[in-house]
Amino acid sequence: MIGRGGPDFQHVLHPAGPQAARIAHLGWFAFVVAATVWVITVSVLLWAIARARRRERADEPVPADGERRMTWGVAFGIGASAVILLVFLGYDLVVGRTLSPVPSAHPLTIEVNGHQWWWEVQYADTAVHDRFTTANEIHIPVGEPVLFVLTAQDVIHSIWAPNLGGKKDLIPGYTTSVWFQADTPGVYRAQCAEFCGVQHAKMALFIVAESRAQFNRWAIQQRQPAAKPADSVAGHGYEVFVTSSCVMCHNLEGTTAGSHAGPDLTHLASRRTIAAGTLPNTRGNLAGWIVDPQRIKPGSHMPPNMLEPKDLDALLTYLQSLK
Amino acid sequence: MRASSLVIVLAASSLIGCEREERTFRETPPSTTPTAVRVSALQPGTPADTTHTVNPYERNAYAQSEGQRLFGWYNCSGCHANGGGGMGPALMDDEWIYGSAPEQIYTTIVEGRPNGMPSFAGRIPSYQVWQLVTYVRSLSGLTPSAGRSARVEHMMIYPGSQSLQKAEKPKWSFTPPAAVQP
Amino acid sequence: MKLHRALRSVSFILFAAACTRERGPEHGYEPAPPAPAGSDARATAALDAEDGQWTLPAKSYSALRYSQLTEITAGNVKNLRPVWTFSTSVLRGHEEPPIVANNTMYVLTPFPNVLYALDLTKTGAPMKWKYEPKPAAAAQGVACCDVVNRGPTIAGNKIVFNTLDNHVVAVDAASGKEVWTTQVGDINTGETMTMAPLVVKNMVLVGNSGGEMGVRGWLKALDLNTGTVKWTAYSTGPDSEVLIGPRFKPFYKKDQGKDLGVRTWTGEQWKIGGGTVWGWLSYDPVLDLVYYGAANPGPWNPDQRPGDNKWTSTLFARDPNTGEAVWAYQMNPHDLHDYDGVNESLLIDVPWKGVRRKALVHPDRNGYVYLMDRTTGELLSAEPFVHITSSHGVDVTTGELALEATKQPKIGEVVRDICPAAPGGKDWQPSSFSPRTGLVYIPHQNLCMDEEGLEANYIAGTPYVGMNVVMKAGPGGNRGLLTAWDPATQRAAWVLKEDLPVWSGTLATAGDVVFYGTMDGWFKAIDARTGAALWQYKTGSGIIGQPVTYRGPDGKQYVAVVSGVGGWSGAIVAGKLDPRDSTAALGFAAAMTDLPQKTTKGGTLYVFALP
Repeated sequence: MIGRGGPDFQHVLHPAGPQAARIAHLGWFAFVVAATVWVITVSVLLWAIARARRRERADEPVPADGERRMTWGVAFGIGASAVILLVFLGYDLVVGRTLSPVPSAHPLTIEVNGHQWWWEVQYADTAVHDRFTTANEIHIPVGEPVLFVLTAQDVIHSIWAPNLGGKKDLIPGYTTSVWFQADTPGVYRAQCAEFCGVQHAKMALFIVAESRAQFNRWAIQQRQPAAKPADSVAGHGYEVFVTSSCVMCHNLEGTTAGSHAGPDLTHLASRRTIAAGTLPNTRGNLAGWIVDPQRIKPGSHMPPNMLEPKDLDALLTYLQSLK
Repeated sequence: MRASSLVIVLAASSLIGCEREERTFRETPPSTTPTAVRVSALQPGTPADTTHTVNPYERNAYAQSEGQRLFGWYNCSGCHANGGGGMGPALMDDEWIYGSAPEQIYTTIVEGRPNGMPSFAGRIPSYQVWQLVTYVRSLSGLTPSAGRSARVEHMMIYPGSQSLQKAEKPKWSFTPPAAVQP
Repeated sequence: MKLHRALRSVSFILFAAACTRERGPEHGYEPAPPAPAGSDARATAALDAEDGQWTLPAKSYSALRYSQLTEITAGNVKNLRPVWTFSTSVLRGHEEPPIVANNTMYVLTPFPNVLYALDLTKTGAPMKWKYEPKPAAAAQGVACCDVVNRGPTIAGNKIVFNTLDNHVVAVDAASGKEVWTTQVGDINTGETMTMAPLVVKNMVLVGNSGGEMGVRGWLKALDLNTGTVKWTAYSTGPDSEVLIGPRFKPFYKKDQGKDLGVRTWTGEQWKIGGGTVWGWLSYDPVLDLVYYGAANPGPWNPDQRPGDNKWTSTLFARDPNTGEAVWAYQMNPHDLHDYDGVNESLLIDVPWKGVRRKALVHPDRNGYVYLMDRTTGELLSAEPFVHITSSHGVDVTTGELALEATKQPKIGEVVRDICPAAPGGKDWQPSSFSPRTGLVYIPHQNLCMDEEGLEANYIAGTPYVGMNVVMKAGPGGNRGLLTAWDPATQRAAWVLKEDLPVWSGTLATAGDVVFYGTMDGWFKAIDARTGAALWQYKTGSGIIGQPVTYRGPDGKQYVAVVSGVGGWSGAIVAGKLDPRDSTAALGFAAAMTDLPQKTTKGGTLYVFALP
């Protein structure tokens, strides 16, 4: 559906990268062991119940060494549990250790800043001029580790892309980091995993894993300033943008609109969704979002905009030209 | 008698509580826009309509905190600091160049004022202007204290917005060098 | 009890003594004995012939603010008395100097920028004419630090100045009739103009203000006769717009490279990146170079503008004919604390390792006095003149400033005790230089600050800062200092402590007297050699202006200064701010909470003479 990622786009059992795979293996291992233990325990319990009933029917006395045997049984149970838990702990630690260090000296670094209720994404580059900002959609090259540097603007958020990795908290005034790697190309949905206010549920993020060549093409495009209006309608739309409330919160790189209170719209039309993964990025949805956002995402910081139909139409044309 | 008065008190307090805690996300635009705002107290002839427009959010804590957020987002704080002023006048004192009534502050924000206050007409939706009005009035203690926040989250030497206007003027501790007489 | 009282009085006496005359703030300077006249160990400067006038705010192209008049001396200055005064009718900060030419005194007020011409040939100096440019009142809303103006300048038969709403105006100096007016900026992008123009070779050099509003800085040259713009040199952007060409030879590797004004910024941020030119220009007619500094990058919050942010906080040397940059030196790459580079550069000659070098002395906001070879841009030395915690020094071989990592402000974090504070070790207030003592008299402040980064939103025509700042007095508790700096030894000869920031300029004279004013209204004369207090007079308001001296039509020497508190430091009084908010006036109000009790606003010109 949204993002056309297929049914597996947010699924912890369909890992698309090494970390998620390790976590999935750990999960499967824990599941199999726990299931085995459960089956054995239930079987033994059923056997014990059956035997006790048989003894009761046969009026057999409790064996004299019953107490001792029970002690042995309990001791074995505790010992086995301890061993299994220790194995879990060990495996867990091993997985944790293999997840934390980034396997690259100079990984692609992406700074993610959590806002109520959207994600600000900055591609940090060693060449300062090549840094760029986008929102709610992250593109990464497949087969490469990607380091995410995380912080938050207002309250604590958490990033979790079940197919790839996480979670990690985004904390105001503090920087954390996590790395992912996607081995299978595709579109994966990430979600805020720490309750952060009324629209916590509609705070999603799409991670697009693509080939290095595709990623480079995308990055070059994202580094461009906002496209100049191609015709008079789009030109009017630009005028509407910079003379209405849009200009108070949004950035269009290379124009007089430079606020960072809301998502960067420099390449809005290149993104799959609007309102942090809430709606597919279509002209109709965009119109509805601009005119009455509180119906779509009540409590969000986007105010309603009562635009004349002609102005709205021109604004939509302009926004859709921001490839 | 006692029970009924208790019920009345509880009902009244719950109503107050409602107004304080209410969160209206979807305002039906356009919300109230004040008309015929007077900035002067003088009216030729017999003064008429001396009443002020009621700010719909006067008692509402959510609107006030939203106003505080917008005060930063829309760069009001760039000129008025956190109420003490800078490029623009102080807002937490008891001096009001263009009036302290809700509709006067509303008009100041929307229409601007000639000596440097920009006009935000068409840039800020009217319900957000009212939220800003609530916050601006709270800075000098003009809104009911129940709706005001008790703290500021940012770096301040002095206490937060609830009590800032009650704070004592800070004292300076340096003893100046003795004046040299000619 | 008795002992206690005795101890208290002893400590009071010691304290009072310490306050009036004090050694270096932290280095334990030995007071340097004044070098004998003609000694090679002393800094000197080429002087023009003394005409008894004061036609440029800095007196001379070399920006020395030194008068060769000798009637008023250290011996007789105690007899100085006011002879006439003049009310400017403006209540904001008066940073301007009175300008004297052809027996006329010109006083330019802060906004609304009224220019008065006063006839010095008549008793009491009656008004000859006044010129009112009527700038847009809305301009007051985008002037970051009070609506000041730093002075007009005389050029031939014209007097030229800038208005707050970005008009450069040339007025006939004799009649007061407007000759031309040119709009060079737009208040809707946050631009204003407060600096004093410098006229070089029939060109009026002007720059803009607005580094706190996301303005892109520039220096423009206007034709003195017509007012048309001949060239514009931006402080940020591609080399073609910064006017960097084949002649550009920066001394240090860190300042070399193509299009650094773009490549050291993310995306298009250089378009709103500051680097305004609101400070002082000086000019060397022999080398034919103009020197000036570009201001801080915007926003203040450094997290939002990764990179070196060239060419903000940079000293430029340009050829005034074409505007071409000849060299540049960035004092504060990726500036963290609003350390503008706009302070004055005094053009002096300094004995350096046995050779006399054509140098410039630039006391920067970051707390170091930069001594540079003004021909090549080579840094000879950079020594601290104030308490510094934000950096550890400047490497003269690479030109790099060593920053203290723990003092870097970040979004959502409070960083404490950053010294110097945002106004720097020294702000705009200009220094003077006396070739007789070889000392530079630096008026400055001793302030530290706490900072908390905030996300800044650029909305054109509104502030673009992103920082909560709270300022306080630096070590010692005194907020002001007057340092007599010896450029030859790169250390302070002596230091005077003042309670309030010394926000006025200084004036040095051949009578070995240095004049300056304090923010509580005292106009003071001190001994140029020792710093000993000689005379003081209490004016009506705090002094943040630039004192000047001239020879009147009667042949007597006069000293003039405009009193009228305001500016960034005095905004708490001029703007009636509320000090209960410690971040008021970008944090300056917190350090000036006592000023409303010490002075009131109102602009008045005072003229003094010996009886």
